[in-house]
Amino acid sequence: MTAYLESLAVLCAIAAILASSLDLVLGFAGIFSVAHAVFFGIGAYAASLVALHLTASLAFALAVAMAAGAGAGLLLAVPALRVREEYFVVASLGFQVVATTVFEQWQAVTGGIGGLTGIPPPTVAGLKVESYAGMAALSVLLAGAVLAGLRALVRSRLGRALQALNQDEVAAQAAGHNPVTLRTLAVVVSCSLASVGGVIYAFFSSFVNPESFTLDESVRVMVMVIMGGAGTTAGPLLGALFVTLFPALLSFLTIPDQFLGPIQRLAYGLIVVVLMVYEPDGMVGLARRLRRLRALAPAGKPGESTA
Amino acid sequence: MKAQLEISSLSKAFGGNAVLDRVDLEVAACAVSAVIGPNGAGKTTLFNAISGFVPPDRGQITLEGVELVGMPPHRIAELGVGRTFQNLRLFPRLTVLENVLVALDRTERRQSRRRRQVQARALLERAGVSASPDTFASDLSFAEQKFVSLARALACGHRILLLDEPGSGLDPPSLERMYALVRSLAAEGRTILLIEHNLDVVRELAERVVFLDRGRALARGTPAQVFASPEAANSYFGGEPEP
Repeated sequence: MTAYLESLAVLCAIAAILASSLDLVLGFAGIFSVAHAVFFGIGAYAASLVALHLTASLAFALAVAMAAGAGAGLLLAVPALRVREEYFVVASLGFQVVATTVFEQWQAVTGGIGGLTGIPPPTVAGLKVESYAGMAALSVLLAGAVLAGLRALVRSRLGRALQALNQDEVAAQAAGHNPVTLRTLAVVVSCSLASVGGVIYAFFSSFVNPESFTLDESVRVMVMVIMGGAGTTAGPLLGALFVTLFPALLSFLTIPDQFLGPIQRLAYGLIVVVLMVYEPDGMVGLARRLRRLRALAPAGKPGESTA
Repeated sequence: MKAQLEISSLSKAFGGNAVLDRVDLEVAACAVSAVIGPNGAGKTTLFNAISGFVPPDRGQITLEGVELVGMPPHRIAELGVGRTFQNLRLFPRLTVLENVLVALDRTERRQSRRRRQVQARALLERAGVSASPDTFASDLSFAEQKFVSLARALACGHRILLLDEPGSGLDPPSLERMYALVRSLAAEGRTILLIEHNLDVVRELAERVVFLDRGRALARGTPAQVFASPEAANSYFGGEPEP
């Protein structure tokens, strides 16, 4: 049971990294990308290759993966951000399809459909992290660092410029901001951070294959952001926790296995549609609404004492 | 008087429809100049051409000798061209302070964060914004938003300020505030070019006026001279209605 909870903690940490990094582009910069799983995958493959052929050092794997993620992000952003914004979604979709094919077919590097196996546990400062508990602690720490970094970034002048650009591009340009540079930077940072999730995933599962980095996964991450509340810091974290833990909760109910998948997908779809229509700010928006209601409640019921 | 901004034979057509037709304009340094004209005269297109949002088909725009045509809007802003918009275009989900900081983040990027904050507050005070700097821009009244947008334009317009209908939507007390602000800016050496429908505003503020109609500069001079010119009189004071 403990191992189960520890592995859930790792999965939550990965989901939090993916959702929060996607929110930098989706929520703050207003760029819709459906290729986030690609950068998750690039991080995972980079870390696996480093660990299998060079060193199991976590720091080294992180450096290589983040550089690879940033490079791939640049590859997507530079051509795609020069066309009109709406086309970025299409470009990212194309990028996702191409990347999935590369993951599946580039046998020599990715191991093809079979993937890469036997990835050794990571070492941190020379110490091997083998236990589930160690991995869970490491993942949560890394997720904390990524989230703290993103929070600082959003509050910096880069974050402010991205929000300005998203709210009024013309006014942002008139204030001296170059939209192409800003958006490219946001995509590159976001992709680089997403690859951190891939590093954790590779070391945790000691096995990677293309199945984990498909369009389905990209959509799942997008659902986390929208469900939690795009353009907020708490939202993607809440969404990530919900989407990761919801299947675990379902498994406690006595639902036959073959219905679990469809039920999950139906529930996500339904929740996203309902939120999009009634609460575009997601769970964070709902929480704000509840807080406001609670603040109003004593005044609203004159008969009741608040003491 | 030295010209800060020189525009020569600027032309722009949208779909065969000439919006600016060989417009010449010299904007004097350290003074308030105005472009007037009826709807569709090309006033806003002129502003959009100066600030880089609309590439002209022909002609030059030089700021202190530097050619602006072909430069992207953010580069022109960096050169010290600040502008406001008729529909304000504030960042609604940023605070009042952040709206000004967005511009200072570029123009004063070598300054410390703390220094930029101080400058932003000073600009808001200068523009007479009384609302708390931490209020969201969208929560302010129209007049207050207008003064925030002026503060934001001030943050990048150290060479020239382009004010798009600074008087529209303001009640008489706010108009007086705006006059005082623009006058004090000109007095301290800012170059200001404004476009306006409201001739009272032009009379109050401008030293030089150009009358633009259907893309052509038809009259120029002091406000009194231009208002008395047959072209402007015809358009503004009861000429034949346009077909």
